[in-house]
Amino acid sequence: MPLLSYIFRRVLQLIPTFIFILVVVFLLVHLLPGDPASAMLGDRALDADVARIKHDLGLDQPLPIQFLYFARQVASGDLGTSISLKAPVATIIAQRLPVTLLLTVMAALIALLLAVPLAFLAALRRDKVSDATIRGAFQIGLSMPVFYLGLVLLTVFAAVLHWFPVGGYGETFLDHVYHLILPALTLALSLAAVLMRNLRAAIIGVLGAEYVDFARAKGLKARLILFRHVLRNALISTVTLFGLSVGTLLGGAVITETVFAVPGAGRLMIDSIYGRDYPMVQGLTLALAVFVSLTFLLTDIVQAWLDPRVAR
Amino acid sequence: MTLTAAVTPARVRRARLFRLPVTLIAGGIILLISLFLGIFPWLVAPYDPTAFDYNALLGPPSPAHLLGADSFGRDVLSRVIYAYGLDLQIAVFATVPAFIVGSLVGALVGYAGNVVEAVFGRIVDAIITFPFLVLVIAIVAVLGPGLNNMYVAVFILDWVFYARLVSAEVRVQKRLDYADAGRVMGYRPMRIILRHLLPNSISPAIVYLMTDMALAILLGSSLGYLGLGAQPPAAEWGVQIADGKNFMNTAWWIGVFPGIAIVVTGLGFSLLGDGLAELLRTKK
Amino acid sequence: MPSAATATAPALSVRNLTTTFSTPAGRVAAVDSVSFDVMPGEVLGLVGESGSGKSVTLRSIMRLVHAPGEVTGSAHWQGRDLLTLNERDLRKVRGGEIAMIFQEPMTALNPVLPVGLQIEENLHAHTTLDRAGRDRRARELMDLVGIPEAGRRLHDYPHQFSGGMRQRAMIAISLASNPRLLLADEPTTALDVTIQDQILKLILELKRELGMSVVFVTHDLGVVAATCDRLAVMYAGRIVETGPVSTVFAEPRHAYTRGLLGSVPQSGAERTMLLSIEGTPPSLAAIPPGCAFNPRCSFATDICRTERPALLEIAPTHLVACHHHDRVAAAGSPVAEVAAP
Repeated sequence: MPLLSYIFRRVLQLIPTFIFILVVVFLLVHLLPGDPASAMLGDRALDADVARIKHDLGLDQPLPIQFLYFARQVASGDLGTSISLKAPVATIIAQRLPVTLLLTVMAALIALLLAVPLAFLAALRRDKVSDATIRGAFQIGLSMPVFYLGLVLLTVFAAVLHWFPVGGYGETFLDHVYHLILPALTLALSLAAVLMRNLRAAIIGVLGAEYVDFARAKGLKARLILFRHVLRNALISTVTLFGLSVGTLLGGAVITETVFAVPGAGRLMIDSIYGRDYPMVQGLTLALAVFVSLTFLLTDIVQAWLDPRVAR
Repeated sequence: MTLTAAVTPARVRRARLFRLPVTLIAGGIILLISLFLGIFPWLVAPYDPTAFDYNALLGPPSPAHLLGADSFGRDVLSRVIYAYGLDLQIAVFATVPAFIVGSLVGALVGYAGNVVEAVFGRIVDAIITFPFLVLVIAIVAVLGPGLNNMYVAVFILDWVFYARLVSAEVRVQKRLDYADAGRVMGYRPMRIILRHLLPNSISPAIVYLMTDMALAILLGSSLGYLGLGAQPPAAEWGVQIADGKNFMNTAWWIGVFPGIAIVVTGLGFSLLGDGLAELLRTKK
Repeated sequence: MPSAATATAPALSVRNLTTTFSTPAGRVAAVDSVSFDVMPGEVLGLVGESGSGKSVTLRSIMRLVHAPGEVTGSAHWQGRDLLTLNERDLRKVRGGEIAMIFQEPMTALNPVLPVGLQIEENLHAHTTLDRAGRDRRARELMDLVGIPEAGRRLHDYPHQFSGGMRQRAMIAISLASNPRLLLADEPTTALDVTIQDQILKLILELKRELGMSVVFVTHDLGVVAATCDRLAVMYAGRIVETGPVSTVFAEPRHAYTRGLLGSVPQSGAERTMLLSIEGTPPSLAAIPPGCAFNPRCSFATDICRTERPALLEIAPTHLVACHHHDRVAAAGSPVAEVAAP
């Protein structure tokens, strides 16, 4: 079946991708100005101490050798030790990354739930008041910075109305979800705006297509035509856009986690970049890059499932 | 809501005024006002943006302070107005260099074609899918906080968007007759690219520039909020919102009004971009 | 109008069908007071140049015209007016009693759905067959239209078929529920000449087997000669002449028909001159007063420029809209004897 072989091919493509990510991450950190050893010890360090730390960290070896050490390390699950937090990077990431993942997934779901029905509504009532209202509302949402929206939502729904907790993460899984509703909503709004705009245009395009006329000529019910013929075709381009938006989503997650004090990987990234915590930066970049490629894989598969011409 | 009623023909007639799209006019008006406030803030603002008024610490909107005062007693309205200059400057400095360099590179790549384009395309795709904000923050972290470093960081990443747009357009344009005519007449490739292809391929880039400026304001204010962009006590909307973030319950006006300014200005750019796209589309 | 002497009642009876669109230039009529009948079991050719309103006529009958187009008039089918039918009943007629095939199968078939599903939809909407029954019927249909390896091909997507096969698939999809009338909108125009021939033969065969009537829209008089029993000629959204193919070919009564016939290259011993009609069809927003064809007509007089000719029956089943049809007939027909299809 062409779909299965396509999936197989794409999964295989992950291997060179992962190697590429590994190389880039390695180079990135080692080419940054600033010496990790001195950073660890501070300005007053003695040269001998610096040299010793360098040796311990293997920083005095040629670059390719360092890379091989690095690759071997990663393969065994050891991502080094955090300089600032003084704990294994892998452990910390394992704690913080799922938080961001949950936030991102919730945001994506909310965005879809908002974008798809509203895109349909706007497309079917094109150029009428409801269409203009929907588009106008989303346009305003797009023009709003994420941190501003987050602050406003936090103030109104948490601080004033007490419907939601004022930031934080909670204890149990359901508690996590409850705490993440406002942040996910914040994150979802700009994504929903972009998706809705694209989907609406796609639906309008599809509605004018010959095959919709042909479906009507067959005497099919309007709802069947909308769901089977229109939606499937319209989603194709939107799915690609969705995949491409993952990067923006992660960027937004950074800010959202800051505003809502959520202990996720986004905030961790900022803190470690600032603290020159190279092992952490390295490990996080690796983890996030892997996450992003897996998301691409997923969206590619969904797209191939929707559109059989892709898997040719 | 019948399917029949929903299906309309391809030609959409958008509202026009004086034969220009309404969106173009609306966006233009907003931006002209913003430009005026940015260049001549002192003509409109009642106070100096750094002046403290100890009688009005955290004061609500009142006749003396129309939009209230912040924790230092500074007039919110004046600070919002003075921030126009800075944020508009961000919009321009963060985007125009990328626009220029990106368009040139894009034109060259689009003309070179095939292998060059394929390789370039892959690199661009790889960069685009990275979280833009995170990368900017990373570069700023390396270079140190401040607006100039932010401009550098954004430039490094932003030019690829323009390059991609222009190279795609050039790829289409170079197959058209006038490009062939140029080659037949023996023009040097550089001349064909610069004088003929580039002007005809630049419109998607110009339209994107408008969106990009709106995005630049969002990015600049985000970094200002995080303390990585404009530094306090500068009057910049993101910085002001950060000032207000701890007082959202008690003195909401400090954070809310600068945000409204961001939204309105961003809308201005988006509307202008939409209007421009519409204008260019119907000109063809 | 068809005379009362006709014994059998027409299957489809279109009267004064008018379809208007609002454009920046005002309201234009793409179809203007079109009337014709389709008899049971016959093939009616609807002929004209592009822009003459032939396709819009078909879509208007099926009520597929997109807003802001407006359709008035009547189209009686099985005793009911299609144009005033409620949505539910209209849906039953569409696909179930009247089917329509389009010019370009690549755009008419949904690219992301397998062909089998597109057939099955039709069956599901109009028959009471169960899943297995529909599956079997779908296979039968694929065989009927001449697609080899029917079972396997049911799961294929439109892009996996060649041009001619795609057209056959479209025919299979639209004829799935045994309609009594087929509206064919230039089904062979987009195909190679050799494939054209096959598809035409297929349509005629299916017409015989299923006992359908067919309205065949085309600009190609050669196709009309080969497949149609009667034809109706359209110009600028109006019908100018209707009649049996042999009669009209032998004795065209409208100058435009005569011009069309004269421009068909014929393979034959005689080297006859190709008649070309001077001028171009008018823009729908600027149709001349009186007879729409008058600026290009060599028989035109003052009355033609002021009074629009009505569609008159000058012989049983031969109708023409021309003030001077006698003089046109006297000028003779440009084509040699046409063999009956």
